[in-house]
Amino acid sequence: MIARSVALKLIEKCPEIQLICPVLLNNGDEKYEKFIKSTKIIVIDGCMTRCATKLVEKREKKPFKRIFIPDMFKKYGIKLTKKLLLNEENENLAVQIMEEIIKELEEVEVKEILKSSKFETLEFFEIAVDKYHFKVPKEGYYFNENDCWIKPEGKTALLGISDYLQNVAADILFVEFPEIGSEIEQFDDAGSFESSKTVLQLISPGTGKTIRVNKALENNPELMNQDPYQRGWFIEIELKDFIEDGELLMKGLGYFEYMKEKIMKEKNIFEHIESEKNV
Amino acid sequence: MSKNYEAEKQTFMGVPRKIIPWWPTIDYDKCNFCMECDKFCPHNVYAKFDDEKHQLKVKNPYNCVVFCRACAKTCAPDALGFPQKSEISNLIKKLRYESLGD
Ligand code: SF4
Ligand code: SF4
Repeated sequence: MIARSVALKLIEKCPEIQLICPVLLNNGDEKYEKFIKSTKIIVIDGCMTRCATKLVEKREKKPFKRIFIPDMFKKYGIKLTKKLLLNEENENLAVQIMEEIIKELEEVEVKEILKSSKFETLEFFEIAVDKYHFKVPKEGYYFNENDCWIKPEGKTALLGISDYLQNVAADILFVEFPEIGSEIEQFDDAGSFESSKTVLQLISPGTGKTIRVNKALENNPELMNQDPYQRGWFIEIELKDFIEDGELLMKGLGYFEYMKEKIMKEKNIFEHIESEKNV
Repeated sequence: MSKNYEAEKQTFMGVPRKIIPWWPTIDYDKCNFCMECDKFCPHNVYAKFDDEKHQLKVKNPYNCVVFCRACAKTCAPDALGFPQKSEISNLIKKLRYESLGD
């Protein structure tokens, strides 16, 4: 019962976590084949038979984390009762376990983002103006005229700011994300970021639901300046209709041309940044 | 930073900027003329008129970046309004579609 409660609480808190049905898994259901290989598995065993662990081991997968509920009872000094229904103490335990798992997941995620192991090498269009260097990825990214990008990957997409906006903002110090689960429409404000100079918004290039935010930015907001297209991504959304979003977006080359024109027109903004830096 | 962009030639997603009605509206019942919005916006949209009743005005509406609402955040009395985003994006889509048909 507690194992079930922990699992349900987890998906409630983090919609990107998925439950695996042990019966289907045991039947060797194809549906899970690829999924299990490519993702982190959290195993929650409720009793000594440890069915969940055994099922995952059968698939030759090492779980990311294993929770054995009786151990948790010991750890938090709670007595097991024979009753089938959860009492308040058990419920609290489930919440504690859930929070423990989430914290661990977040720490690992931040480490992974910082290591940037999962990002490929990008090819860029590049231009240098005075001391500033502007890059735009050639492929895979779409932009709106508000200098924000979207990188669709199947049904989801990462969002972030362009190298141009990063340069305009100068050193980014704080980020403010939208809530996980919030619905964002194209051109809605999808969070903000603050530098010593200004507060800017990320204006969403796409419509969808926020499913993940880049936790690494909370302690390392400079990633948005250093690597705006990859490690400095801002949020992830579940796309509603990217074909429709695409009608008002530009591809890499289109945005690069637009950005160049804008840089020339707004050169005064950069001169302004320069003079502030020199103070 | 007082340069005026050549609004005549501006476009947004290929649509002439001049036919997209996007800029802030000041609610003079709420505005206290603190000028935070003007200080914030780098695009010379607002202007100050010291001798007039309404000391703040939207002087260059077409300099305003379509879909930007950033200055509204700096306005403590919440005196700045913007058009409905969906109406504007539908209008842009429609205008783009029409111009493709030419
Ligand atoms: S919305 Fe943006 S561009 Fe328009 S006036 Fe405000 S800050 Fe300036
Ligand atoms: S920030 Fe708000 S209150 Fe201040 S001048 Fe602008 S509109 Fe008026």
